[in-house]
Amino acid sequence: MSCDDNKDARTKDRDRRRSLPVVDKSVAPAKGAAPADGGNGLWRSQRPWRSIDERDRQGAMPGAANEFPAGTMDVDDNVSRRGFMQLLSVSTAVATVGAACQKPNEKIVPFVRRPEEVTPGNPLHFATAYALEGYGSGLLVESHEGRPTKIEGNPAHPQTIGATTAIEQALILGLYDDDRAKQLRQGVTPIAWRSLLGQINANNAKLAENRGAGLRFLTAPTTSPLLLDLRRRILERFPQAKFVSYSSVADDGAVDGARMAFGKPMVPRHRLGSADVILSLDSDFLAEGPEQTRLSREFAARREPSPRMSRLYVVEPAVTVTGAMADHRLRMQGTEVGSFVAGLCSVLASRGLEKLAPLASLSHGERKWDMKWLVALAGDLERHRGSSLVIAGCRQPPAVHALAAALNAALGNVGVTVEYGAPLTPDPLSGPAPLAALAQDIAAGAVDTLVITAANPVYTAPADFKFAKLLERVPNSIYFGLNEDETAAACKVMVPAAHALETWGDVRATDGTVSIIQPLIAPLWGGIQEAELYAAFIGEGDVGANKLLRRYWQGQFKGGEFDAHWERWLADGIVPDTGVAAEGGVAVDGAALAQTVAPLLTRTKSGMEIAFVVDPKLYDGRFANNAWLQELPHPITKLTWDNAAMLSETTAKALGIETGDIVEVTYRDRHVDAPAMIVPGHVDDTVTLPLGYGRTGVGVGGVAKDVGFNAGALRTSDNPWYDRGATVAKTGRRFKFAITQDHWTMSPDGRVIPPPAVEGPIEEVLKRDSKFHEEIEVRRGPLPTIHEPVDYSKQAYKWAMSIDLNKCTGCSACVVACVSENNINVVGKENVWRGREMQWIRVDRYFSGNDDSLSMITQPLMCVHCETAPCEYVCPVNATVHSDEGLNEMVYNRCIGTRYCSNNCPYKVRRFNYLNYIADYTAVRELGMNPDVTVRTRGIMEKCTYCVQRIERKRISTRIEGRTIADGELETACQQSCPTRAIVFGSLNDASSKVSQQHADPRRYDLLHEIGTRPRTAYLARVRNPNPELHVPDAHGAGQEHGKGEHE
Amino acid sequence: MSDGHEESTFVARRFIVAEFASPQALLDGTTKMRHGGYKSLDTHTPFPIHGIEEALGLKRAKIPAIVLGGAIIGACIAYSMIYFMNVIDWPLNIGNRPPHGPPANIPITFELAVLLGGGSAFMGFFALAKLPQPYHPVFESEQFSRASIDAFFLSVELPAGADGDRAISDVKAAGAIATELVTESER
Amino acid sequence: MAAPHPSVSRDPLEPQPLIEGVHTDKTINDSLLAHVWRGAGKGWFALFSVALAMLGLLVIAISWTLYKGIGAWGNNIPVGWAFGIINFVWWIGIGHAGTLISAILLLFQQKWRTSINRFAEAMTLFAVICALLFPLLHTGRPWFAIYWLMPYPSTNGIWPQFKSPLTWDVFAVSTYFTISLLFWFLGLVPDLAALRDSSKSKTKRMVYGLLAMGWRGSGRHWAEYKWAYVLLAGLSTPLVLSVHTIVSFDFATSVIPGWHTTIFPPYFVAGAVFSGFAMVMTWMVPARHFLGLKHVVTMKHLENMNKIMLVTGMMVSYGYIMEHFIAWYSGDPYEYAQFFKTRWGGPMSGIFYLMVFCNVVTPQIFWFKKARTSIPVMWIASIFINVGMWCERFNIVITSLHQDFIPSKFENYSPTWVDITLFIGTIGLFSTLFLLFLKFIPAVAVTEVKELRHELAHDPTADPVGETH
Repeated sequence: MSCDDNKDARTKDRDRRRSLPVVDKSVAPAKGAAPADGGNGLWRSQRPWRSIDERDRQGAMPGAANEFPAGTMDVDDNVSRRGFMQLLSVSTAVATVGAACQKPNEKIVPFVRRPEEVTPGNPLHFATAYALEGYGSGLLVESHEGRPTKIEGNPAHPQTIGATTAIEQALILGLYDDDRAKQLRQGVTPIAWRSLLGQINANNAKLAENRGAGLRFLTAPTTSPLLLDLRRRILERFPQAKFVSYSSVADDGAVDGARMAFGKPMVPRHRLGSADVILSLDSDFLAEGPEQTRLSREFAARREPSPRMSRLYVVEPAVTVTGAMADHRLRMQGTEVGSFVAGLCSVLASRGLEKLAPLASLSHGERKWDMKWLVALAGDLERHRGSSLVIAGCRQPPAVHALAAALNAALGNVGVTVEYGAPLTPDPLSGPAPLAALAQDIAAGAVDTLVITAANPVYTAPADFKFAKLLERVPNSIYFGLNEDETAAACKVMVPAAHALETWGDVRATDGTVSIIQPLIAPLWGGIQEAELYAAFIGEGDVGANKLLRRYWQGQFKGGEFDAHWERWLADGIVPDTGVAAEGGVAVDGAALAQTVAPLLTRTKSGMEIAFVVDPKLYDGRFANNAWLQELPHPITKLTWDNAAMLSETTAKALGIETGDIVEVTYRDRHVDAPAMIVPGHVDDTVTLPLGYGRTGVGVGGVAKDVGFNAGALRTSDNPWYDRGATVAKTGRRFKFAITQDHWTMSPDGRVIPPPAVEGPIEEVLKRDSKFHEEIEVRRGPLPTIHEPVDYSKQAYKWAMSIDLNKCTGCSACVVACVSENNINVVGKENVWRGREMQWIRVDRYFSGNDDSLSMITQPLMCVHCETAPCEYVCPVNATVHSDEGLNEMVYNRCIGTRYCSNNCPYKVRRFNYLNYIADYTAVRELGMNPDVTVRTRGIMEKCTYCVQRIERKRISTRIEGRTIADGELETACQQSCPTRAIVFGSLNDASSKVSQQHADPRRYDLLHEIGTRPRTAYLARVRNPNPELHVPDAHGAGQEHGKGEHE
Repeated sequence: MSDGHEESTFVARRFIVAEFASPQALLDGTTKMRHGGYKSLDTHTPFPIHGIEEALGLKRAKIPAIVLGGAIIGACIAYSMIYFMNVIDWPLNIGNRPPHGPPANIPITFELAVLLGGGSAFMGFFALAKLPQPYHPVFESEQFSRASIDAFFLSVELPAGADGDRAISDVKAAGAIATELVTESER
Repeated sequence: MAAPHPSVSRDPLEPQPLIEGVHTDKTINDSLLAHVWRGAGKGWFALFSVALAMLGLLVIAISWTLYKGIGAWGNNIPVGWAFGIINFVWWIGIGHAGTLISAILLLFQQKWRTSINRFAEAMTLFAVICALLFPLLHTGRPWFAIYWLMPYPSTNGIWPQFKSPLTWDVFAVSTYFTISLLFWFLGLVPDLAALRDSSKSKTKRMVYGLLAMGWRGSGRHWAEYKWAYVLLAGLSTPLVLSVHTIVSFDFATSVIPGWHTTIFPPYFVAGAVFSGFAMVMTWMVPARHFLGLKHVVTMKHLENMNKIMLVTGMMVSYGYIMEHFIAWYSGDPYEYAQFFKTRWGGPMSGIFYLMVFCNVVTPQIFWFKKARTSIPVMWIASIFINVGMWCERFNIVITSLHQDFIPSKFENYSPTWVDITLFIGTIGLFSTLFLLFLKFIPAVAVTEVKELRHELAHDPTADPVGETH
């Protein structure tokens, strides 16, 4: 997998199109998924054939179906590429005109109640929600003339509270993804929804004979009241039918663990707002799971440098966003965490938490961790009874979650920092276990009709199920999905799903609050909605999702006039009073628990540990076709367009491996070739493999095609996350990573001046004589200058920004938000490798300390709008100049592209369109562009504008109201998306504005202050809050060297 | 040579082209002739000869003045242009620099001074020399082509009606080794 | 003439006269024009076809660049400038020797310049033409750059930004080209007349006649001519210094460590002369052999050029040392890292050491007369120096840029085939023009040599070796 063959998404796209005719000859047999019985009964596919030998190749068809979304079938085999492109553009154009410009028939209601704080700068905003793992995030979607263009968080929603994750930001691109499945097809024959309904009805009759015994639904985990109601009605009609919910990244451990601890399945909900001491057991709670946005906000709120500042301990194998924020991080193999927490229990028991006494005896094997660390931690937890919190990660087995629950109970945290509630979904488990049952049924031939609405199970299912093969045994398989993906290729019927932004539906947040999902645009390619597919099995397939939804909620609604409330729900994005109260009075039976977990903790296996991890960008692979996420640098490794087998430096050295070596990872006689990468702070003797890459079936364009390797191929159902006994061997081949930072610069370097950081205890932080104080003072304050600085105080506004490094977790949501808001181009792997990435925001990250005491500071860096900008005076054509309000303006249409400004920018935050990146935009993709922002063509410099288009919009609207822009009512895209509110934007002429206060903050400093550029963006230094018992002064902290330097 | 054109108003000029053996001889001869009262004399040599100005009694060269003027005009144009464009017409805040930054104006001011100075030296010369001038009566002489190679000529324009033979004898007396009377041909 | 001379004792270089052998104006004239009249030989056509092939490459590279955009090159962020600007500075530098020889040596009345100035001036013109390609090509939107850089009243009312060194460049380089052209042509006029008058065929007579503009060697003309010529020389001298000073401002006025240096102007000019003389040498050595100019371009000329290379080489070396000293003395961590980490040990340090070898070590051999007077040694050395000066610009442009302030945006740089083809192509363009020049125009200023011969022959006080001061 050299860089050249998965070069550049667009090039690949073209090549693949060129090779289209060949593909169905060469690739198809490889797929080799000829139906065992050639398809039986009504499901036989009537594929047209044009020649004898083509008819004889019928066996190859399902494979071809994967390559050929129906509709492109009519293309003559020897069509020229140009011809094909023309056809394609015409068809997309038709889709555009046909779908986009026509509003959905059903009435959707704008977001009318605008809180003062968050008025986004654009015309119409609709509240909706996005369901992931069954839980909803409330969103506000900006819509231009019926075209959704930008996603924001819904401030009224309990989970997103106005912010978003990178993945949510990228939904827009997913909506306009030209590779989405566009045609309902049976085999390779396009058919109409109506005729499919007919077939389903006929089939229903057959199924009804034996009460639906052969009917199975494989769904994604869901909390949707509507879908669950439809499920109930389906089961009424087919009592023997079964619903299986599956997700490859399900958090089953928590539920099972709660069952062990409390006797019944429960889901923990965390409240960091009241947590003084937090222990994360391999939990990346700041960047993973349905609560991440709210948890990030609550966590950041408690990180203000004050005596109330919380303290975070993290125990994890590979550095995560959460681990990077830790005050104390202990790297530990995933399989060790169990015995670690057991050890913690016994220590705490010995410190007089009698509730833990029964657990004190738990063996925690031979200790591999630093006991001092454990004792200090225990002391801290014990001192903060009732205000501490233990969080176990979704990758940890039930036993760990059980012990975590026991700890929380014993520490009196339950009800304060954590509460346990009944699962919001009828099928609490959605991991490998339920899927295994389904697999058995299929193997036993007990399944006649299988409806798959889960996300691409063929790709995500554990390798030992051989799910693709299994599906061949199902006579009637219907796949409901967004893309022509691996599962689509293995199913008889492919139902193109409507995108989340094209859907009517509902979903619950983790606290039960219901959000109504309303479509922003009619399905671009006539996608079907999940509710409609369900309804088809109770003969209501033609009712329409909107009607089904309204009907259901009307039924639920008690008293009053429904329509008004309905519209209010849609407008607000939440249905009031639908929250589910947590269950009080949960008790742990220590003795019983000890019995249950004791066997689970004894480690039997040995050998190198293999660890799988959810990719922060592609998730389980369902976002692999999203170029924004593919090109988003990984928060820790800064890797784009690939995943890597991550190793610690020590382990890599022992194996003679260097970053960039292609290694063969073998585990239970399955193996993959993966490029290795040395990651700071990674635990020794473990190889971490991110899931979600190496997709094979990804529809027409194939942005994701051949990007990275498929770690899932090694994943088994019994140990989906951690196991021992892996081997890693060098193959001798090399691989070219496209990393956006630290290209080959390994040597510690005199010029590296990381953001100042200070070690607590807090009281000392702001002392005038502290080291920190000196560190700060040299980075701010007046400098000698020849020219008097221009006086901006007379202007109405003096725009400025501040970024609190104490809050920034490096989650990178701002980067994607910026890309989406400012129409920033994707450049592809080859160009990222060349150093031409275009994202305006670069999240720099600095490591400090060594692998055992690793700490990391992230620093979002976009144009800092220097008052004495070095870029301006070198431009020969006045293409970059200063505005009256101090913005460093880039005049695109004047730029001739000398790149002198970028050369002279000490921050290197300018980006240049080296190629005509917009050339390959499809008509549909263009729908998603922000009309307020110029689309840059080739040969032009660009950079952060402080979202000048938002400033001007707000200026206009406030001028109409005859007032000035109030502080906080104007937000930049990055600021708005930031879960931790680390970014603040406003006017320095308003002394009371948040940004003015932050610029006056004792922690404020200017980046590269000594050059005298007078940047308008100020940074607030990171403050850590270490445990005095563990704090080694100056071991790490201020003045460290660049992280990679530690790894020479 | 050019008879048969009586009716035309054209009056053919007549020159005496005389070759001298060496630059020195040429200098002496030229001086003699000038003192002998011949006004319009000119020398034709493959390379400049020291002292020819005195021999021909030429005044001070005009080129230096022209060049100086050109250079000054160039400098003024440059500076005033920059000042007008960046200070009067459209002042902009360029990285906090003042609109009028004299040091930044020096390079272009200098370059334009040189450009116009040099240009006027070049143009000035050809203007003063009335070149290009494809035809000149002296070219009528067969020998004259050597004037650019290795021979040293003196040309004497005879006033209308002057006696050619007398002039020729004067030139011979002044040291010419060969002489020839050429008449302007009408083209 | 070349026979033993009163001034022998004064002049250790006496065995190497400026003109070898016994000559008359006629013989000089014929011998120096001979290579013009002589039909083009096989060798010339061989070289010319090679040059044309390389020129073809240039056309290809340019069209591809215009078609694809600058992305066809290896540039990135932070390395916004790379081969394009290196080549620009390199060619401009080469051009400078020509002006220096013809102008400065004229003002200093260095008689030995006469045999090589025509040659050197031609080289200036062609080098500047090559250089001029790049500032335009390297922009993202050349079709606008070509006129937006000019101060003309545009519809959107915006003017060029006169604080930018790039704007200065536009004026400096265009002025430099114009003045060099005028200067060269003015010197050429009498020789064109000589060509006209010694040409056999009518067409040639016509063509050269037109170019000679009716020059008739008039004493009245000579009187103004000498002034015009001297004054052009006088203007060219500060001009050539200013041009490379301004080119160095492109870097010196910036904030980038490795660029932000006050020593750049003198150091650039010295480097320009250094590389320029090397290039003259590279071409002169074969030319004097194949065009039969050995009697006017004598060992003395070559040796003098070698001496200049030694001197300017030392000046350049001093520049390198000062850069490092200031980087250390200033205490600026970025500056320090740039020189003592990036240049010495960075991924591109190889280029740095190659530069040191070619520019600092190589010229030292010219301390030895044996080397100064050995044709092969000086020829190879001159090529080394050309290479070394290219590497110097690589160090300044790319090495400085690829690691500046914030490590997260350090990037590696690797050229593409287009970068390399472009460079080769400009060499093709240069060679093509040069071969045409050698074919149709006397490579030596005939008139001046004649004048020189007379001074040496008839004026016993004239210093035969042209060491007048």
